[in-house]
Amino acid sequence: MRLTGHRTVIGVIAALTLTACGGADTNTTATGNNGLEKTTLKVGILPIADVAALFIAQERGFFKAEGLTIKPEVVQSTTVAIPQLVSGATDITIGNYFTVISAQEAKAGNFRILADTYQAKPDTFDIVVKKDSPIQSVKDLKGKKVTIASLNSIGELAVASTLRANGLSPKDVHYVPVPFPQAPGKLASGQADAAWLNEPFLTGVQKDMGARKIADTMTGAMADFPIAGWTTTEPILSKYPKAMAAFQRAIVKAQQIAGSDRKAVEKVLPNYTQIKPEAASIITLGAYPSTLNPTRIQRVADLMLEYGYLKAKMDVTPLLVPMPQ
Amino acid sequence: MIVSKVVRGAVGVAVLLVVAEIAGRTGLMDTQIMPLASTVLAGAAGLAVDSEFLHDASATVEVWAEGLLVATLLAVPAGVLLGSLPKVEIGLRPLIEFLRPIPSIALIPLVTLIAAGDGAMKVTIVVYAACWPVLVNTMYGLHDVDPVARDTMRAFGFGRLAVLLRVALPSAAPFVLTGVRLAASVALVVAISAELLSGGAGGIGVYIIKAGSGYRIDLMLAATVWAGLIGLVVNALLVRAERGLFRWHAARAGVAQ
Repeated sequence: MRLTGHRTVIGVIAALTLTACGGADTNTTATGNNGLEKTTLKVGILPIADVAALFIAQERGFFKAEGLTIKPEVVQSTTVAIPQLVSGATDITIGNYFTVISAQEAKAGNFRILADTYQAKPDTFDIVVKKDSPIQSVKDLKGKKVTIASLNSIGELAVASTLRANGLSPKDVHYVPVPFPQAPGKLASGQADAAWLNEPFLTGVQKDMGARKIADTMTGAMADFPIAGWTTTEPILSKYPKAMAAFQRAIVKAQQIAGSDRKAVEKVLPNYTQIKPEAASIITLGAYPSTLNPTRIQRVADLMLEYGYLKAKMDVTPLLVPMPQ
Repeated sequence: MIVSKVVRGAVGVAVLLVVAEIAGRTGLMDTQIMPLASTVLAGAAGLAVDSEFLHDASATVEVWAEGLLVATLLAVPAGVLLGSLPKVEIGLRPLIEFLRPIPSIALIPLVTLIAAGDGAMKVTIVVYAACWPVLVNTMYGLHDVDPVARDTMRAFGFGRLAVLLRVALPSAAPFVLTGVRLAASVALVVAISAELLSGGAGGIGVYIIKAGSGYRIDLMLAATVWAGLIGLVVNALLVRAERGLFRWHAARAGVAQ
């Protein structure tokens, strides 16, 4: 109880300070803060291309026009981001659909998805091997060690789907859970035979160590697979509906830009990631959808069920927050 | 004497760096996994003028300093109390010995759910880790009070409080500062580990996450070098404070240097 009171006090002070500081601006922009319940939102982000639209919206003042101040906080992974969201340390977080849907089934919280942010395209998630590796195709992976970002994740699902498409079973390989940054080292030192990687690591290992791609995992059942969305919880949404709607309006505008103008993405990448600008211009980017389509997100839950990552069928529609008018 | 020690220390560091550089250049060590020492050092030098990194480093120092301060303010009085009330200490000893080895990093998921925000979570984790060295050293310091001095005070009719203030506390003070110095290193390790594990708005650990996610092993290591340097400076300052404040103690304990 005391904590809640404390937080409210901080919120009020923050709101007052913002109103005071923003005085000059709000006079000129008639929208002001639109009667938002909360004007400063803490948003969990990953320092990768998936969240580019958030920084495009920051740079172009879309949040400011809605009366919002966004405070980005780097999260280590969605698995860590979820308790932070549930505890109220963040208001919104980047959430990969696999993990959010798993957490929803496990009742780790009641999650709501505000907007779609990233969708796979060809070669956004590939399996690669060392230059001199005897592995030539997916079939050669039988009995080999493959790194994935974490167990029980979209990585496992993607590799499993590729194995199945090539007549193997997920049990035919040994999964080695290694965060993406450490995976190139595991591959180079021979501690793993193959690595499931995304950008900028894919471009990095192909350029630096001549790593060879043996499969694109985002094909077949996983073609154009939804990767991540801006996630909040039902209690946060019902407490701050206007602030969440303002976030949705601003982010969707930026998603449209990110989806149609690669240069806009390349421009913001160095602002919040350590991806070298020269790498930013050559890495393979996914798609930035500007609508939250229930049919597409349902695919994630259905495929998870098919592969045994969900115990029962889940209808994702109640989790998706409609775009405000 | 001190100059020659510094020179020797510098030679040690230089030899390590040269060996690492040679190992990288001759192909003994794969530069894909471990960048050249010169690349890392150049990166570290660059970070010193990188406003983003400086913001991150100051965030870490803030969490470290707040955590260490709170831990000291909690653990010193607790240590004095337990150290001067042996019966209470015996009662609480098993609890302390149970809590002390719990890695504070393992408490992150729990504290994340309770603490009001990310900053409060990290400070809490640092306080938990940093209070034990201070507490235990303070308790030992109070046990180590010269019995002759204490009994003399008592014989002259001074009360418990007077004995505590005039004999026990001054005598325990060097131990307390040693505890704080040990806690300072622990606090830095824990602050950066907490950032690495849970992210946040800023911090050296957060910078390392960003560098890692951008496939920049050189910058990850460069930031790590700074973590080590900050620890080195903090420790050196506290050692100097110990020597300056408690010269008499070092002399009595027969500690060289």
